[in-house]
Amino acid sequence: MLIGIDVGGTFTDGILFDDGRILAAVKKPTRTDNLQESLLAVLDELLSAAQGADIARVVLSTTLVTNLLATGQGERTALFMLPGYGLPHKAYSVTADIYFLQGAVDFRGRVIENIDSNQIYAALQDIKQKGIRRIAVACKFSNRNKTLEQRIRDEIVKFDPNLQVTISAEVSGKLNFPRRAATAYFTAMTITEWNRFAERINQAIQARHLDAEIHILKADGGTMPLSASLSNPCETIFSGPAASTMGAAALSRDKQNSVVVDIGGTTTDISLLISGEPLYASKGARIDKHFTHVNAFAVRSIALGGDSVIRCRDNSIRVGPMRIGAAACFGGDEPTVTDVFNVYYELGVGDAVRSQELLESVAQSSQMTLQSLCFFVVETVIDRLKRAITEMFTEWENEPAYKVWEVVHRRKFQLHRIIGIGAAAHAIVPILATEIDVPAHIHHYAPVANALGAAVVRPTLALQLHIDTASNLYTTDSGGLSGTLPDPRNFQLSDAKVLAMSCLEEVSRARGVEKYTVNASFFMEEQFNMIRGWDRVGKIFEVGIQVAPGFIDEYQGVSE
Amino acid sequence: MKPTGILFFPAFDWAISPTHPEREERLLYTRDQIFEEGIMDLPQIREYQPGLATFKDIARVHFCVPDIEAQITEAHLVSAGSALRMADAVVTGEVKNGFAIIRPPGHHSMTVVHGNRGFCNINNEAIMVEYLRHKYGLKRIAIVDTDVHHGDGTQEIFWDDPDVLFISFHQDGRTLYPGSGFMEEKGGPLAYGTTINIPLSPRTTDDGILFILDKLVMPLLEEFKPDLVVNSAGQDNHYSDPLANMCFSAQGYARLNQRLKPDIAVLEGGYSVESALPYINMGLIMAMAGIDFSNLKEPDYSPHKFKEPAGNREALQRIVDTQLRVFREREEKIALTRAKSDRPFRMEMRNIFYDTDYIHEQQRVEVRMCQTCAGFRTIVSSARHPSGREYSVGCVSIPFGACSECQTEGQEAYRTLQQGNTQLVYLQNKIADEYRVIDTRSKQETRL
Ligand SMILES: [Zn+2]
Ligand SMILES: [Zn+2]
Repeated sequence: MLIGIDVGGTFTDGILFDDGRILAAVKKPTRTDNLQESLLAVLDELLSAAQGADIARVVLSTTLVTNLLATGQGERTALFMLPGYGLPHKAYSVTADIYFLQGAVDFRGRVIENIDSNQIYAALQDIKQKGIRRIAVACKFSNRNKTLEQRIRDEIVKFDPNLQVTISAEVSGKLNFPRRAATAYFTAMTITEWNRFAERINQAIQARHLDAEIHILKADGGTMPLSASLSNPCETIFSGPAASTMGAAALSRDKQNSVVVDIGGTTTDISLLISGEPLYASKGARIDKHFTHVNAFAVRSIALGGDSVIRCRDNSIRVGPMRIGAAACFGGDEPTVTDVFNVYYELGVGDAVRSQELLESVAQSSQMTLQSLCFFVVETVIDRLKRAITEMFTEWENEPAYKVWEVVHRRKFQLHRIIGIGAAAHAIVPILATEIDVPAHIHHYAPVANALGAAVVRPTLALQLHIDTASNLYTTDSGGLSGTLPDPRNFQLSDAKVLAMSCLEEVSRARGVEKYTVNASFFMEEQFNMIRGWDRVGKIFEVGIQVAPGFIDEYQGVSE
Repeated sequence: MKPTGILFFPAFDWAISPTHPEREERLLYTRDQIFEEGIMDLPQIREYQPGLATFKDIARVHFCVPDIEAQITEAHLVSAGSALRMADAVVTGEVKNGFAIIRPPGHHSMTVVHGNRGFCNINNEAIMVEYLRHKYGLKRIAIVDTDVHHGDGTQEIFWDDPDVLFISFHQDGRTLYPGSGFMEEKGGPLAYGTTINIPLSPRTTDDGILFILDKLVMPLLEEFKPDLVVNSAGQDNHYSDPLANMCFSAQGYARLNQRLKPDIAVLEGGYSVESALPYINMGLIMAMAGIDFSNLKEPDYSPHKFKEPAGNREALQRIVDTQLRVFREREEKIALTRAKSDRPFRMEMRNIFYDTDYIHEQQRVEVRMCQTCAGFRTIVSSARHPSGREYSVGCVSIPFGACSECQTEGQEAYRTLQQGNTQLVYLQNKIADEYRVIDTRSKQETRL
């Protein structure tokens, strides 16, 4: 049996899944001051529903790190930056505690300026005075050569072995220095708190004598073992929308182009499945206005949900953005968006008479008929959703391309259907689909699709290998691997692919997900001849290999 | 403040040949540098997606022999199309200016295209300029060609067009390909003075080029009052470029663009792929976006690295004086030419050499000496292609500014040429935006 738990902002959802069926679903309000309590309360209910049956895996999606970063409660961290030449220092503003240091590496991984121990010493003295205990180090092009970052770490540890250091090359090896620096900084800020949380979860699991794998859901729609999450807390951010989108993919399981509309109480999240594959945000997850190297889905959130309250103010109708409580038809004190759809389309959801009564009173105070009030709200809701969907298409169509082939073969986005998930999807999504003139797909598991998504997705791992045969050097963008080649002169693309595969295997062993590398596929194969004069002096290869988001073998769809 | 548009199209899957300077690797390190800097994430920058030019966009400028398909690859359509996308974004006001970092380049391509010249098949800037005039009705355009090689293709295309001010500074044609771009080349009889060439001595430094910019280029632009300024932005003036001998630095390029303030910059040459391009492209982007570029330099650069050649300042001053005079007396000269002209057409014979494809082309060019407009032009061109086939074609071009008489006579010339002994006859009617080719033997006509 499988367990998936999604700790959301308002509710914590959990399911117990076995053999194509959800055996139990639990929904509880989230205690934002104690996520662990909320999580364990749901887990315990699911375990008692399991009646002692074997649990193979528990996957958790939590907002802990997202909350820490959003509320500025991370640990105070200094950022040592080595920007070398290029943008002015004032372009970097991720924290006030930045120290700009000497030292530079170029795109080929050559050290073009050395570090200065005296300057580092002075910065450390300053940090000591401020009482900062944690430092993130980021050097431009450290993804091509991390020796300067390592040397600075050595200097820091020599100065004070109790200082905690995170170097950016070990957090991400992708190009984009500001994103890498921000990711290293946010990692350093949250790592202690995340590890504390992970340890408590681990103890709680032990106490329950569970012999299950414990995984954490990542922003990219894959999982990682709890142990692997310890050094990568930032990968856990925005896992809620990832859970929902993967839940939608789990319920549809085909190669269609779909919009996933997740209508919760107060917000609606919109994401895309293109030929069945989730679309990623091209600039990475954005934390506190800064782009990062955390791979996350492209999600558009709008402050509008099934529980958005309908009120009359200054003689005009307001739709949300607040949530006062449940919809009137479910016993709430004020009418909401769900009530409007309930009345206007005669859906007969819950106590429909109560929906109508409370809406009548709003209509009266705004001197409208009930009919025109409902019409106005429905128009407003459908319009905002349609606009957000169109913006997403346009964004996808306007993604840059760097090869002739990509430009010539670019396709227009053709929408096949809308997948509705979340508690209020039943009321709103069919109307939206009719408006856009595509079919709606709303499975009866739609209200718990997020927890289902968490329960059944497999681990993901993506790795890009950069090889420079002239410098006889290779580096990977995740896992921080680097090394030299046995025979750089005769190195071919086929050798590069073999090396990429073995790097992937090495990194997946370190993360405890080696059994999933059988699912790996190449997503990039590029080679460049390096010509100086008229002679070839070497080759540069860029090879990408990944275990893409998908589902564990145990999951073969849901029985209807 | 509006952002600066960047369209980066490195054509990572296109090369002239594996070891040619125009190969996949050319913008690889530029990619590394601008992506590592995170330039596309800045609020001052908006990244654009490449586009595809249509055959009509190409026919608005070129006569491709025997047809467009024969002369281009998809890469050319994307490169030219990307310049058009960038131009759209600038002219519609989405961005304050734009830089198309694209390849393949185009500034050596002339009106008639038999093959590849100086790494170019079709002229991206010219296609962009004519597209903008057609689509948005722009009239006066200035093109400043900052490539180290003379922009002979762009010069030829706008040679008879008084509404396009073409300024090229480059290493002296006596010492570098394509061997043209001398001060005597000043434009056609009815477009005199709107072609301005600035040949520079080898090893001219930032100081020299910025002197020319301040004392000559900027005053010319101020007096010409163009609707749009285009920088045909070659990067081979750099001190490390393997194909030329100048001493320009990334700081120099950035300062040049900061002062020139081009509306659109389009990448041309530049073959120091590792030591120059990553830094120059950064400099150009930063200057156009108004970002402080004082922290930018090549790793091996220091401000005292180069000294301006002795006597260069005096030579530059002479160029400034001469060319300002040429430009300022242009209207007077053109009026005189018109008054004195006793023949309806001015004829010129030309030989054009295509270095990449080793083609020798012969041209007979005629421009109508019109009293009211700059005239229409006919070109009869013949060349043996690398395939061994001999082509002879007749081309008529009716420009945007043509008067009704020139339009009628141009159409007439298209019919008359069909009686001659050329295999193909072309009509390029920019006013009607109609482009025709007729095979004189089969009488089959195609229209775009
Ligand atoms: Zn050039
Ligand atoms: Zn005329």
